[in-house]
Amino acid sequence: MGIQALLAFAASNETQDLVTVGPWTLIFQICNLFIQVHLIKKYLFKPINDILEKRQNLADKAIKEAREAKEEADSLKDQYESSLTNAHSEAAQIVSDAQKEAQVKADAMVHEAQKEAADIKARAAADIEQEKKKAINEAKDEIGGLAMDIAGKVVEKEINENDHKKLIEDFISKVGA
Amino acid sequence: MSKEFSVVGPKIYATIHTGIPILGDINITETLVVTWIVMLIITGLCIFLTRDLKMENISKRQAFAEMLVEMGNNFVRNNTGGTKFDKLIPFVSALFVTSVVSNLISLIGLRSPTADLSTEAAWAIVVFIMITSTKIKTNGLGGYLKGFTTPIAVMTPFNILSELATPVSMACRHFGNILSGVVIDGLIYWALGLASSALLGLIPGVVGNFLSKIPILGVGLPAITGVYFDWFSGCMQAFIFCMLTVMYIANAAEEG
Amino acid sequence: MTDFQLLARGIALAGCGIGAGCALIAGIGPGIGEGTAVSKALEAIGRQPECKNDVTSTMLLGCAVAETTGIYGFVTGLLLMFVAPGMFMNYLQ
Repeated sequence: MGIQALLAFAASNETQDLVTVGPWTLIFQICNLFIQVHLIKKYLFKPINDILEKRQNLADKAIKEAREAKEEADSLKDQYESSLTNAHSEAAQIVSDAQKEAQVKADAMVHEAQKEAADIKARAAADIEQEKKKAINEAKDEIGGLAMDIAGKVVEKEINENDHKKLIEDFISKVGA
Repeated sequence: MSKEFSVVGPKIYATIHTGIPILGDINITETLVVTWIVMLIITGLCIFLTRDLKMENISKRQAFAEMLVEMGNNFVRNNTGGTKFDKLIPFVSALFVTSVVSNLISLIGLRSPTADLSTEAAWAIVVFIMITSTKIKTNGLGGYLKGFTTPIAVMTPFNILSELATPVSMACRHFGNILSGVVIDGLIYWALGLASSALLGLIPGVVGNFLSKIPILGVGLPAITGVYFDWFSGCMQAFIFCMLTVMYIANAAEEG
Repeated sequence: MTDFQLLARGIALAGCGIGAGCALIAGIGPGIGEGTAVSKALEAIGRQPECKNDVTSTMLLGCAVAETTGIYGFVTGLLLMFVAPGMFMNYLQ
């Protein structure tokens, strides 16, 4: 077998029938098909599927990371918002506390002042009363003395001490009433 | 230019005597040689397409390879409705690619391996065995044999016939379409050769004798008819063969 | 070659030719069928233009399957034209 023999084969004019099934050709074609399947699997599908899977993993990872970052950001945001709200409420609390305190203080001051004023008023009233009583008593004594003098002078008649006293008191009570 | 038109089968390049009674001698025909060329082309293309794959910044070549793989995956998954037949994807893809390249290789002047019934018969037998094994796997051997007697026992021969008609019709459909392309292309070239030799033979003398041997009219028109007879029917028949393969196997797995 | 052999060859060749012609009548069926399929597909596309791609691909598939019988006829015709005469000529030698 050599090149010449091959050329002789190639030059041969023998042909197969147009429509026929050659048993060996059939077997060879089945083998060829399976070899082709194997080759395609090995050289096209395996590398491409590997790379697709890798890329999918990468994408999944990226998406996962992004989601995690977003969750973190969300939680941070929540935290900030809540702390902000807290600060707001705290401030409001402080203000209201201060207001309350001020109110209480003001109320107390007003109250005290009122009380003091009332005290002063009461004292003044008591003083006045006392002065009045004093004045009245003085006036009574004066009037009693005067009356006795007048009576003694006017009414010549001896009056015993008791009657005398009774008379004066009657008089005073009448005057006092 | 020959005055007679004839369509011949694939050439036999070598014969190896085996002495095995039924199988006979091994003929290394044009079909086999061209099939090996087709396989080389496809494998070379696969290796070329999947060279230095990257995760990011992919080249156009890699994008094309990924598109092909995705197309194969989607084709099988859409037609079987699920990922149950993922093992079939390389088989169907190999079948499709081999078929398309074999059909279109006639464009570069080689004889299509698919214009030999042996090729399609081989594929159809493989597909038939796959269908039958899927059926037996789904229903069990008893269920498979019982399936022939439905709806009534009298129908058994017809059921067996229709079962056997599947691979025959698949093979003959593909073969007939490609062979028709070969025959019609041959007829067109022959007729155009005759026409050009008649036309240029009008020139007197040696020049006319020389020019009339060149089928000058054979440039152009066969390209237009080739669009249908080679491109369209070649791709269409490859597609249908694969479609039928997938659908038959999916149906075989569904039968309760 | 006797006259009888010549006659037999002539009859065989004539039969092959007539058979090939008859076999190509099978082209009528797929022609009608595919025409129907395409007209229905066009109607469907007219009714639902958004389904154009689906309808077209399914129609092409159906057409190709329907063409099978035509192809059988064609192959038979080819056999009768290019394979059978040779066979008969060998047989009738």
